[in-house]
Amino acid sequence: MSTVISTMRHVRGFDFARPLSIGMLIFMMLPLVFLPLASIFLFGTNKGLASFWAALSAPEAIFALKLSLATSFWATVFNVIFGLFAAYVLSRHNFWGRNALIVTISLPTAIPTAVAGFALLLLWGPYGTLGRFLSPHGIQIMFTGGAIILANIFVTFPLAFGVIKPVFDTMSRSLEEASATMGATRIQTFWHVTLPSLRGAIVSGALLTFARAVGEFGSTILVSGNLAGRTQTAPLYIFAKFNEGQIEAANAIAIVLALFSFLIFSVLFVARDWFDVD
Amino acid sequence: MLSCRTKFRRRAKCLFISLSLGLVLSPACLPQPPAESGGINITVYGFSIMKEALENAIYPGFATKWKAEHGQEVRFTSSFAGSETVTNQILQGVRAEIAILAIERDAERLKQAGFVTSDWRELPYGGIVNQTPFVILVRPGNPQGIRDFPDLAKAGVRLVHPDPISSGGGQWSILAIYGSELKKSETQTGEPDRARAIQTLRGVWHNVISTPGSAREARTQFETGFGDALVTYELEGLLMKSAGSPVHIIVPRSTILSDHPAVVIDRNVAPAMRPVVNAFMHYLWSEEAQRAFVKYHFRSTTSEILNDENKELQPIEMPFTIEYFGGWSRAYPEIIEKVFRDQVQQTRR
Repeated sequence: MSTVISTMRHVRGFDFARPLSIGMLIFMMLPLVFLPLASIFLFGTNKGLASFWAALSAPEAIFALKLSLATSFWATVFNVIFGLFAAYVLSRHNFWGRNALIVTISLPTAIPTAVAGFALLLLWGPYGTLGRFLSPHGIQIMFTGGAIILANIFVTFPLAFGVIKPVFDTMSRSLEEASATMGATRIQTFWHVTLPSLRGAIVSGALLTFARAVGEFGSTILVSGNLAGRTQTAPLYIFAKFNEGQIEAANAIAIVLALFSFLIFSVLFVARDWFDVD
Repeated sequence: MLSCRTKFRRRAKCLFISLSLGLVLSPACLPQPPAESGGINITVYGFSIMKEALENAIYPGFATKWKAEHGQEVRFTSSFAGSETVTNQILQGVRAEIAILAIERDAERLKQAGFVTSDWRELPYGGIVNQTPFVILVRPGNPQGIRDFPDLAKAGVRLVHPDPISSGGGQWSILAIYGSELKKSETQTGEPDRARAIQTLRGVWHNVISTPGSAREARTQFETGFGDALVTYELEGLLMKSAGSPVHIIVPRSTILSDHPAVVIDRNVAPAMRPVVNAFMHYLWSEEAQRAFVKYHFRSTTSEILNDENKELQPIEMPFTIEYFGGWSRAYPEIIEKVFRDQVQQTRR
């Protein structure tokens, strides 16, 4: 209701500001976002759908997509659980060093992803601080799918936490207290009272994390070894194909990733609406 | 009416949750299948331009041969990047069993770090699998009239040059330009003119507009319309031509032939893998493999006859190799570091 009134207030007759501002917004987005995306689609399909399909169904391309999805999935699972736990601890308890912890969790946002990559190499690499004690036992984490998951976890660390924590902060504690007075255990209260009100935040946090992890490049190229059909994720595949001059092949996968993120963010948009109405 | 709406909303929400869960959960069921059903796998890291020859001819050729002789499947996994990048990856612990590098220096770096314990120079032909000369690629019609390296220093020429920090090709290219001037001045006056060579290198680098990480990246950049000229391996120009790209290859009067060493990363080779790895290494110098290299526009190290058979490999008036500078152990510190880094790169800023 209130939105209707606020738009009515300024209007006498036709409001020129409306079409003008919308048009300007689209005009500004045109060279920055729309056209670059459109060129991927144009270039990817200008040799016909057959060659697009051939590029997409190359075994290495399929593998790269699967690997990206699988590694992002595990990073998401970890970061959502971790984010939930961290948000719970940091909003329920006040302790010395709490702010330092919050800052540290948020740090990966500002660290260049390449730094994340070589930090992992310096730690877990066969000659790294910890890795050198593992490699004599035949345990190698770097240059495997595990390394990609670690890199994804590092890079997307703050995302789920960042979405979940504000909800915790603003959540009324009276429901939880009521539940406790009715004799529920801590776990029962968490499961039946706290968690349901976090659904929206968990879903958005998970999708954000997943979307970001699928597109991760800078850290992955350092820790994965970039072996086609083994440790090459979709963004690495795109980069390799572009460097080899096979721009059509690069484009085909780029289109898939673009559509994929479009899907994720559409879902996110709808999700936010639905869960907020609740 | 209202209950109907809530019911619809609830159902839609349920559907939506299961859809998004399905979307996110689907990949969990398929974690990384490398399709390792019997047979052996050799991991090869190569510098950027080795890709086509290895993947299209050398790997299948060796796999067929090994299968016929031992009844065993051999598969290859490989990764390609700038030679220095590949070397650094291996030094960081990537499990490569074989590396094919653009420059001897990288083979030596692997040896000094203890990754290569055998003497790779003991392999046939000093460990060098193939060669290719350095040439200039220009746009169709050669609008700037570029005939030789010094022409790249002309005003207005925009040059793409692979980065000598990460790319072996970038270093070869510097040696090609510098050595070419020494060689020409030597035939003119009997004395190699170092000042003239440095001057030319400076002029050329004044026109460098971009330094991509590998020879292959440089080519892609050039192919997408960036720059007027590119200094690169002859093979790259020939590959571009065979792909129908409108490019003109200029063979300088005097230029360097790059040597590409193949090394076994002994530290990563399991004892059971030894025979097949050794067999593959020797296969690289077999007539079949050398013929395949020439087919993919390299120049053979074992046979001049093979090179002559390929008519697209143009004659070079005054070719030279790294030996002209006394080998890589002298060329790197004396030219790449003392001349290029300290005198050319410094004055560019």
